[in-house]
Amino acid sequence: MSSLIGSPPETGATTPTAVPARQGLSAGRARTARRGLRVLAAVVVLGVAWALIAPNYPSFVFPTPADVWASFTRAVERGVWVEQVIATLGHLGSAFAIVLVAGLPLGILIGRSIIAEDLSRVVLVFFQTVPTVVLIALALAIYGISDESVIGVTVAGSITYFLLNVIQGTRAIDRDLVDMARAYHANETTIMRTVVVPSVIPYFLAGARITLGVAWQITLFSEYLMGSAGIGFNVNTAISLLDTSTVFMWGLSVVALTLLVEYGLFRPVERRLTRHMRRT
Amino acid sequence: MAQDDPQPLVTFERVCKSFGRRAEESVLVDVDLDVGRGELVAIIGPSGCGKSTVLNLVAGLTDVTSGSVRVADPEVRSAYVFQNPRLLPWRDVQANVEFSLEQIGLSRKDIRDRADEALDLVHLGQHKDKYPHELSGGMQQRAALARGLALDPGLLLLDEPFGALDALTRGYLQEELLGIVRRFQTTTLLVTHDIDEALLLADRLAVMSSRPARIRQIFELPFGPDRALDKVVAHPEFLPLRTEIRELLRPEVEATDPGSASTDASQATAAGTRRGSRARAGTAQ
Ligand SMILES: Nc1ncnc2c1ncn2[C@@H]1O[C@H](COP(=O)(O)OP(=O)(O)OP(=O)(O)O)[C@@H](O)[C@H]1O
Ligand SMILES: [Mg+2]
Repeated sequence: MSSLIGSPPETGATTPTAVPARQGLSAGRARTARRGLRVLAAVVVLGVAWALIAPNYPSFVFPTPADVWASFTRAVERGVWVEQVIATLGHLGSAFAIVLVAGLPLGILIGRSIIAEDLSRVVLVFFQTVPTVVLIALALAIYGISDESVIGVTVAGSITYFLLNVIQGTRAIDRDLVDMARAYHANETTIMRTVVVPSVIPYFLAGARITLGVAWQITLFSEYLMGSAGIGFNVNTAISLLDTSTVFMWGLSVVALTLLVEYGLFRPVERRLTRHMRRT
Repeated sequence: MAQDDPQPLVTFERVCKSFGRRAEESVLVDVDLDVGRGELVAIIGPSGCGKSTVLNLVAGLTDVTSGSVRVADPEVRSAYVFQNPRLLPWRDVQANVEFSLEQIGLSRKDIRDRADEALDLVHLGQHKDKYPHELSGGMQQRAALARGLALDPGLLLLDEPFGALDALTRGYLQEELLGIVRRFQTTTLLVTHDIDEALLLADRLAVMSSRPARIRQIFELPFGPDRALDKVVAHPEFLPLRTEIRELLRPEVEATDPGSASTDASQATAAGTRRGSRARAGTAQ
């Protein structure tokens, strides 16, 4: 998923942001500020380039920033923007929650039990390789055009990414720690709570992040093809009316929302859960 | 002392342990050993011979291939201080020490108090809220020791607990351990590489052969229950015993020489022994 400032998201879970240990707090902050300014400069340059190039094309091919902005304010004024964003976040959030809540115990089970692994292998391979369009076709056949279809396809299309991470994390659990807990007479529930789950958390976070990125794509795609609401559905409507500005507007909205979820939700949660690893 | 107790707390009876199916993969062969109530038995032997395996058997972390390991009182509260610290990385030092106490159903306050006490004992009171990765190796080892001692265990399994410590801290903790064991009559099984440590701490000392390991000889140590470091060293039997045990271990160390050894494991560990370092099996556990 996108991350504009700082380390790439995969490593973000385990590596503290690369500020040299001896560097003073203010020096570190100044550096962050400088990097932030560079990012901002790039945004401005791209925006200006867009504003200069777009007028050479018809608006339905390449709308200007002003067209897109107008489309945005119109959508906001009519309440469409908030309504559709909520619909999409509802789809995405439900699917993501289902994946996390079902995937964590399932992944731990598969990671710990050879029987569960063998039994689930076929299903895992299926969900990993089956094309999303086939899932969409199946959902259309079963549920028709509905929220359930969108959520179901998103869950089915993204859960393997999460499961595989949790399974890997469960396999990577330090046997020595489990033995330690046993030697001190911890029961299985306690071992699960105090050793297994905390060990899996970095993998849980990595899996959640990949899953969220994939889930965004699938949700929008599903809304486009079989939704009755949501950003994907609106992109479909807009493009059939050759309203390219609105398509651009939704595209940029998704970028903004993704960043918001990343920095407003994901990073703080991650920072909290990996507290013990990031003290320097 | 308590080793005369009719029923020892821990009994090994013709214990064989093998991690593979073939005979040459045997680790322990026909091990017989008693640990009486309140007794401190030390085990010394070449690296990779199976000392940690002996403790793992007592702790129930692995099973015998044949023979039996019995703990007479199954309700006994046991603590195992492993060769490596095995602290939970996501818990600070305090919470790591509390881990053992959480398993025996104490009140929150008792858990806290007893962990504090144990941390003070190992001089980690200042570092309670650090995470394991912020500690030195010796500090981690002391935290692991505190986790075990906090329990006031009836059966204490110690696997080279002072290996990673400087001489001064080691001496201090050896004396503390001796005091605790004496005060609470803690039955203790101590694995060590250090002959002097074994002579100071143990009531009896079992010397193991190289792998496949048997118990070569068990020494009743003559230094008495009120022993202390300076007194033991001055004891007329100290030097002769030390020489005897060293001689007993010497051919064992050579037997694990890569030239004559047959297993990869003993080769890997023999290299460390020959260099005279405190050898640690890369293959252990
Ligand atoms: N889980 C295991 N699987 C296979 N072999 C093992 C296992 N655990 C131990 N061993 C082997 O058993 C032998 C004894 O191991 P152990 O850890 O008990 O040695 P040790 O006497 O404690 O050595 P050190 O003094 O170096 O700690 C070693 O040769 C090791 O390779
Ligand atoms: Mg060992």
